[in-house]
Amino acid sequence: MPNKSGNAYGMTLLCPIINGSKNHQSYADIIRDHLENLPLDSASPMAKVPNTYLCRFYVLNDVFYEGYPAKEEHLKSRYLVFSTNFHGEPDEYLQGMWSHALKEVREIWQYCVGFKAQGTADDFVAYMRKCQVDNALFFNGSTDDSLAEQLKSLYLKQEFSRFVYENEGASDEDLQNAFMEFVKRTDPENLNGPTWVPGHNE
Amino acid sequence: MDTILDLNDIQGNILKTYARKEYIFARYIFFSIRDGAKGRKFVSDITEYVTNAAPWGHEDNPKPDATTNIAFTYHGLKKLELPEESLHSFPEDFSMGMRERSSILGDTGISAPEHWDPVWNNGDKKVDIWVSVNGLNETAIEKRYELIMKLCEDSEGGVILLTGHRGDDGRDDLHYQDASALFKDGKATAKEHFGYDDGISNPYFKGCQSNPAFVLGGGKPTTGDPATLGGWKPLETGEFILGYRDEAQEYPEAAMPRLLSFNGTFMVYRKLHENVGSFNRYIKEKGQEMGEDGEELVAAKFSGRWRNGAPITTFPTYKEACQYVEDRAEAKEKFDKADGMISKNLAKLKYYKLLSKLVGFDYNKDLEGGRCPVGAHMRRTNPRGALQFGQKGAFDTPGALVNRRRLLRRGLPYGTSEEGTDKDDGNHGIIFMTVGANITRQFEFVQQQWINYGNDFKLANDKDPILGNHNTDEQGKSDGKMVFEAEKDSSNTPHFCSNIPRFVEMRGGGYFFLPSMTALRLIGAGIIDPT
Repeated sequence: MPNKSGNAYGMTLLCPIINGSKNHQSYADIIRDHLENLPLDSASPMAKVPNTYLCRFYVLNDVFYEGYPAKEEHLKSRYLVFSTNFHGEPDEYLQGMWSHALKEVREIWQYCVGFKAQGTADDFVAYMRKCQVDNALFFNGSTDDSLAEQLKSLYLKQEFSRFVYENEGASDEDLQNAFMEFVKRTDPENLNGPTWVPGHNE
Repeated sequence: MDTILDLNDIQGNILKTYARKEYIFARYIFFSIRDGAKGRKFVSDITEYVTNAAPWGHEDNPKPDATTNIAFTYHGLKKLELPEESLHSFPEDFSMGMRERSSILGDTGISAPEHWDPVWNNGDKKVDIWVSVNGLNETAIEKRYELIMKLCEDSEGGVILLTGHRGDDGRDDLHYQDASALFKDGKATAKEHFGYDDGISNPYFKGCQSNPAFVLGGGKPTTGDPATLGGWKPLETGEFILGYRDEAQEYPEAAMPRLLSFNGTFMVYRKLHENVGSFNRYIKEKGQEMGEDGEELVAAKFSGRWRNGAPITTFPTYKEACQYVEDRAEAKEKFDKADGMISKNLAKLKYYKLLSKLVGFDYNKDLEGGRCPVGAHMRRTNPRGALQFGQKGAFDTPGALVNRRRLLRRGLPYGTSEEGTDKDDGNHGIIFMTVGANITRQFEFVQQQWINYGNDFKLANDKDPILGNHNTDEQGKSDGKMVFEAEKDSSNTPHFCSNIPRFVEMRGGGYFFLPSMTALRLIGAGIIDPT
């Protein structure tokens, strides 16, 4: 299946943008400006969306004219492209976007054809699935575990590396004490305990 | 088919390791061109003294007391008024120059251009010409230097000497950069200031004129046993000299017209200050955690060779390394003293077999880095097929990822340092030079991807412990780190080095074009025709 890889899902959406302009700027350019000014890393709106591994936005202007003898063709509109890799089922994921980043979703999609800013979550899911295109090839860049698992793993990996450096050469007794303290502090089994902040960059 | 090079046309420093031929002193002189015509005259005049690669020891080519070689920066070629079309056909790395590309090279902080020796920061008096004199002794150097300075004076200001080299006692106004082998008990050694035997291996390529036995370790790896000649093949000439087929089976990118580039090449020059005190302190401190011969072990793990030159992947303990060096010295003595053809040949065989252990190895028996760490300096700068990560036939040839990244080295140490010193300041380091057909693909790639980064070795962003541009914050904490991996299936633990400070600082350098003798004559006569 070109969109699934185990429990990981790769969703690609092409949402047509309204032709026309506002305040001497085309809607597509307004969207691009808005995207370029979105906050980054853990402040990104997509960091709030549950189970997002990695996602990407861009504005697609047109197909490329290769030059003679290729035929010159043009798309009927410009597109907002949204590509996202996540854990779980697509409908559930899209529901998660609507419930966790509603304001930002409305701001980003407001100039897309057919998007109902005042619609319901179900309207949103239906709309996005209508814009979905199948991938030709989906390569997931991580395991297909839930995001919470992956974030906890990242956190433990980094904390443990630090632990090893700090305790190199310690006596057996000191090492065991330090390790027990490490386990207490990092709470490895508890996904809701200390963990990597989504979108964090270090 | 043997590649036959016109040795009369190629500058001597490209094909000859002067230091191995007893030219253990060197002087590097830098000039600025103020007038094109006078600059060309200077080039014509000096060409008479430029040393080519023709073999010495013949009646008509006796070994000189001193050699001379000359190279130009892009700015220098411009001042010599080469045609615009020729200038524009030089590769961008050369035309931009090393200074403009310092962010690629990681020359940051104290290594940044604004901290280089004043000779590189002389405002509009840019470095245009590099002249090197290599001499059998200091008298020979002085004599040749005087001769060259006379030619400079004759130019009546058309060519001026650039001063501003840092030297002893805090001086920074010297007229030239001297370099020489380090001496111990009055004898020249192969050592540099951190105590390592340096310059043991260099690329072996078709037509290179080196002893054919040096293809072992110096050539490109085959699938054969690296301890034997069957494990190596000569590299293509075009990796090191313009106008010849290179490893991509084509002629390397070269400036037009062909006569300008043919038999020429590019040279990278870097004055590298060594923080000897910091280095000594680090290996001593870390060495205490490493057990027997800990200090030497840390030095060996950093480099890939014990300081006596033995490769740690082949000789994993200090005792074995010392025994090897002893055995080799003994074999050499026997070879030198042997009488009669048969015993001479037998002694030679034995000596060469031992000698070959210096370079005849790869890392296939040491993939995890238990002996030579994966991030060791030597393993980074010459991976020898290790980038296949043990997968036989991962690439068309074991050397597919390294054959085009080989560095032909031609430098010497400079300055003096006290053995075991704890001082970093002072005038001591290495004049590092590498010669090759493509600056970006060879030197810059190794510097950026393999020295100041570690991803290709699966070492994330760990840097070369010795050359990496580690940083130290105001609290004195340094960010250099390295893992000494443990041997697989052994009860040994890995070791973690952290807090590694910057051991090497860049004090100045540039990218130069080393023309052929023909091109030199054309440049001097001002008759380069790009059409």
